[in-house]
Amino acid sequence: MTGTSLRTYLITRLALVVPMVLILLTLVFLLLRVAPGNPIEAALGGHVPPSVVKPIEHRLGFDKPILTQYGEYLWNIVRGNFGTTITDNRPLSQIIAQNGAATLELTFFAMLIAIVVGVLIGLVAGRYRDTPIDIGGRLFGVFVYATPPFFLGLMAQLVFGVWLGWLPTSDQASPLTQALLQTHTNIYFVDAIWDGNWGALWDVVQHLILPASTLGLITAGVFIRLTRVNVIRTLRDDYIEAARARGIVERRVVFSHAFKNALVPVITVVGLNLAILLGGAVLTEETFNWPGIGHELVLYLQDRDYTAVQGIMIVFALVVVAVSVLVDFLNAFVDPRIRY
Amino acid sequence: MKRRFRWALAVLTVALAAIAAVVATTAYGGARSSGIIIDGTTGTVVNIDPANQYDYDSFTVDLNIFQGLYGFPHGAKLQPVLATGCSHSANLKTWTCQLRHGVKFSNGDPMTSADVKYSFDRVLKIKGDQGIYTLLSDLKSTTTSGKYTVVFHLKAPFSVWPYILSTNAGYVVDHKTFPADKILANTDTAHMIGTGPYVLTKFTPSQQAVFGLNKNYWGPKPKNSGLIINYFTKSSTMKLALEQGQLDMAFQTFAPNEIAAMQKEKSLTVHSGHGVVIRYLVFNVKRPPFNNLNVRKAIAYLMPRQTIASRVYHGTVEPLYSMVPKGLPGQTDAFKTVYGAQPNLAKAKAAMKAAHVKTPLAITLWWTPSHYGDASADEYAEIQRALDASHLFKVTLKSAEWAQYSGALGKQYGAFQLGWFPDYPDADDYTVSFYQTGSFYSNGYSSKKMDGLIAKERAAKTDASRYSYLKQMQLLGAQDLPTIPYWQGNMIAVSQKNVQGINNTLDAAYYMRFWLISK
Amino acid sequence: MALGRATKPIREASGIARVMFWSGVTITLLFVLMAILAPVISPYGFNQYESNGHRFPQLAHPSSAHLLGTTVQSVDVLARVIYGTQTELEVVAIALAMSLVVGVPLGLLSGYFGGILDRILVLIMDAIFAFPYLLIAIVIAFVLSTNSSIGGGILTAAIAITAAYVPLYFRVVRNHVISVREEPYVDAARALGARPRTVIRKYVFFNVVQNVPPIATLNAADAILLLAALGFLGYGIQPSQGAEWGYDVSRAVSDATNGIWWTGLFPGLAIVLLVTGLTLVGEGLNETINPVLRRRRFGRFEFEPVPGAVEEAE
Repeated sequence: MTGTSLRTYLITRLALVVPMVLILLTLVFLLLRVAPGNPIEAALGGHVPPSVVKPIEHRLGFDKPILTQYGEYLWNIVRGNFGTTITDNRPLSQIIAQNGAATLELTFFAMLIAIVVGVLIGLVAGRYRDTPIDIGGRLFGVFVYATPPFFLGLMAQLVFGVWLGWLPTSDQASPLTQALLQTHTNIYFVDAIWDGNWGALWDVVQHLILPASTLGLITAGVFIRLTRVNVIRTLRDDYIEAARARGIVERRVVFSHAFKNALVPVITVVGLNLAILLGGAVLTEETFNWPGIGHELVLYLQDRDYTAVQGIMIVFALVVVAVSVLVDFLNAFVDPRIRY
Repeated sequence: MKRRFRWALAVLTVALAAIAAVVATTAYGGARSSGIIIDGTTGTVVNIDPANQYDYDSFTVDLNIFQGLYGFPHGAKLQPVLATGCSHSANLKTWTCQLRHGVKFSNGDPMTSADVKYSFDRVLKIKGDQGIYTLLSDLKSTTTSGKYTVVFHLKAPFSVWPYILSTNAGYVVDHKTFPADKILANTDTAHMIGTGPYVLTKFTPSQQAVFGLNKNYWGPKPKNSGLIINYFTKSSTMKLALEQGQLDMAFQTFAPNEIAAMQKEKSLTVHSGHGVVIRYLVFNVKRPPFNNLNVRKAIAYLMPRQTIASRVYHGTVEPLYSMVPKGLPGQTDAFKTVYGAQPNLAKAKAAMKAAHVKTPLAITLWWTPSHYGDASADEYAEIQRALDASHLFKVTLKSAEWAQYSGALGKQYGAFQLGWFPDYPDADDYTVSFYQTGSFYSNGYSSKKMDGLIAKERAAKTDASRYSYLKQMQLLGAQDLPTIPYWQGNMIAVSQKNVQGINNTLDAAYYMRFWLISK
Repeated sequence: MALGRATKPIREASGIARVMFWSGVTITLLFVLMAILAPVISPYGFNQYESNGHRFPQLAHPSSAHLLGTTVQSVDVLARVIYGTQTELEVVAIALAMSLVVGVPLGLLSGYFGGILDRILVLIMDAIFAFPYLLIAIVIAFVLSTNSSIGGGILTAAIAITAAYVPLYFRVVRNHVISVREEPYVDAARALGARPRTVIRKYVFFNVVQNVPPIATLNAADAILLLAALGFLGYGIQPSQGAEWGYDVSRAVSDATNGIWWTGLFPGLAIVLLVTGLTLVGEGLNETINPVLRRRRFGRFEFEPVPGAVEEAE
């Protein structure tokens, strides 16, 4: 479809969003609602006699025919009503605003670390190709890929929290900061800057270091590979040769030409990596008691709170779709050659 | 050129080292504040509204905000709080209570009989999902007579009614701020108005509850200027936060090896008080092979109480020989009387012989992994080892997370682990709840003799006669074996050295009275 | 044989690539041996807490009696690590087999016949593919564990992992079929009147299936991470059914705050090593068989070459 105009491409891409969202939402519904077991009874625990379960089932619409439930489920999502948890009566919108913000904070800084570490190592490895530095860099890439975030996190806690005592190992901020900080966005990093509360900012940063580094490092592998390959490729390109021939110093060649070119795909891969990042975030949040949305998901799974799990899965699905569209758009703008 | 590149790398390395050095020199201390107590817990708050909560963690939050007509302000002795006293009719079915004068809610509204009636009616009207209203199932109606008198009309004689008035089903809420037929959202702190020593100023679900002082509080001023309860998912991270000084104290629930480790730390104090929390094994007495009394007896003879207490819990719990924990009036070590203090292999063998089953008998025991703490895995591993070692049983362990587990219990499982903390600290709560026909765990146990004893106990006029019935119930329970109790736990709180007053609240009432704590 | 052909370029490849590949093979084979010989080489059983009536100490430091120390349940850590290999490999083998059995035929049919079926399947698979597959696995494990008859076993874990990987095989196979379908010899076979079944079986299948080993190897690495993650979150193997590294690490979290490092370090290292081994093997195969294949973390592949990046075959 190389001949199509940008606009046609964008419109086609947007149109594809609808079936994709629908499929994911249906999947979530099928998994959670059609599964065996009584969600209400499961969520409420042992105190409640059956006479109590029935009215709640009715209130939540769980006693209606499955197709009606499906319709209502979709309609509620369209209206932006993601439901209220069964076990502790929290509106999903509150979970998204509060815990979603925490996840955003963590993943943003993790991505930043992943890019910086990954691009740096990739750059050096590519520049000194086939030297011990390169092998070291590549092995590092394999190792970080092979390390589960919870294991890396555990070891980080052990070393920096327990043995050295340098850094806090849980939560988004210390209790007092949390209690006193005004929440504007629920992203503590932003809130602290917003209020010019530098003590709180330092506290927040300290809490961020271990979880963000853990998640960042395990995501860095992709960037290492990509940058390395691109540096090698661009360094061989004709115009680089030309630049060299013109007598431009090697360092400038590496940084201003190869580096810039190698960065373009890295930026798009940031988006593609989201699914991976989100999966890793669930484990990192669980390890560091980080109050993100993945941490909540694990809690609600334990409580067998079907509405909460369903709501959180919907949020993940929407984020995934939104980002995939965004990435394709960026791609189309950045590099006109790419029209699928 | 290569040298330049290396030089850049060197700069980067130095920069990273510098950052590490800065971090190291400002070694993490966490923010501390003078008058505010910061507490940590691994619990989860289900609901703050007292009309829909039936769990210890929600209860601990509400204890700071709300009060009942009765309560346990000091020790495990029931005392009037918002009431000055109650009197009952001869048949124990009508209870008349006089309210304390001059009590105000935290927003300044006066507390009167209308609020009390409103609160009880509200619990029964809402019939919250959590089932707390079932505590009021014997309440027919509540009436008022004047501003300061409330009358409770009951369906059956109820000798321990004032205990019910101390539970959160009996918390008095401001009728002006609480809707009559709906529970309040957890985050709606502005309307969460009670008469307790604190007001809830901020609540972030599963993260934090922040309390300020109630300026209109009628009682003695709290010994601190505020309270923060911080919620953790793992006791290990909570322990670290405590060690790093982010918390002043932590309560509920550390793993046994964590407590053992903290006992050795100079900067921390481990406070161990009375314990009323118990752990027990429940049988479905209708389901084979546990419908065979002799099989249950063999297990009772083999129960490794000492091993669990010392190996798994490092002595932080003690062996339990009755469903009623030691320390409560009316308790008797019924299982010691019937089965002896130590496991008895010979008697267990005899019991299995009398059971006429092929040994080793394959049985499945259920337990739940996180609800009662990580140590449950180890606890059941010990029980499995003890039973397998006798060669009388071949045990399979199965587990399910609490939500699923608590829904299944006797309905699906033949033998399963449970724990209990009391609705009110009285032997009545530890016997009737387990032995009455149709108990909450659906284990099929029903005994006319037991139900008769319960009715007599509930209608008893003196404590002495009540206790004698309670003892008979415990002995009968040990013989019929619907359950086997195996340990009772101490209430354990860990605090920084400078925190005072925790020992004043660790008693059999199992209440964390934060207002008594200072630093 | 696909593997023989695959390793030929490896043998001819540059020194570094060869060393990396063969060290991967060595590590992987060591783990397979460890799994097979577990009863022989393990000092104790994975659930054993005493020997000759003498009980093992709790949380003992690594020593000559217990090379890697003991856990809070007085179980030997080394034994858990060794027997854990069995569990990991077992689950991963079942999961891979199941995802191949489901994913490959779907991909073959969808790619060969095209049309509406193909479009719908592609849409569904792509949607699932885009979703964080750890979440898919967790939810499936969660839903399955509601049903106490399958709950918490090797099969549950395998099914959860399968569900996350079917879309991957579907995509690989389908895309390849589409390109193979237009090859002259396949066209010729069709023109000669061969039935679709025959064409798929005789010409397409073998051509396509040789792509599977590198993906399956990388996938196995990935599946181990996934299983460990499920175990860590409490949706893996029941502790009494078998040793599982992820579960052991989750139990070690509370030990770590007491400075006890051996209960978490060794099972964690086992995960890292096995995954590294499999990854090195997979990357070696991958680079030689299909240089265009690009891997995302957790074993996902970019099939469209990433813009601007074309890996050179070494």
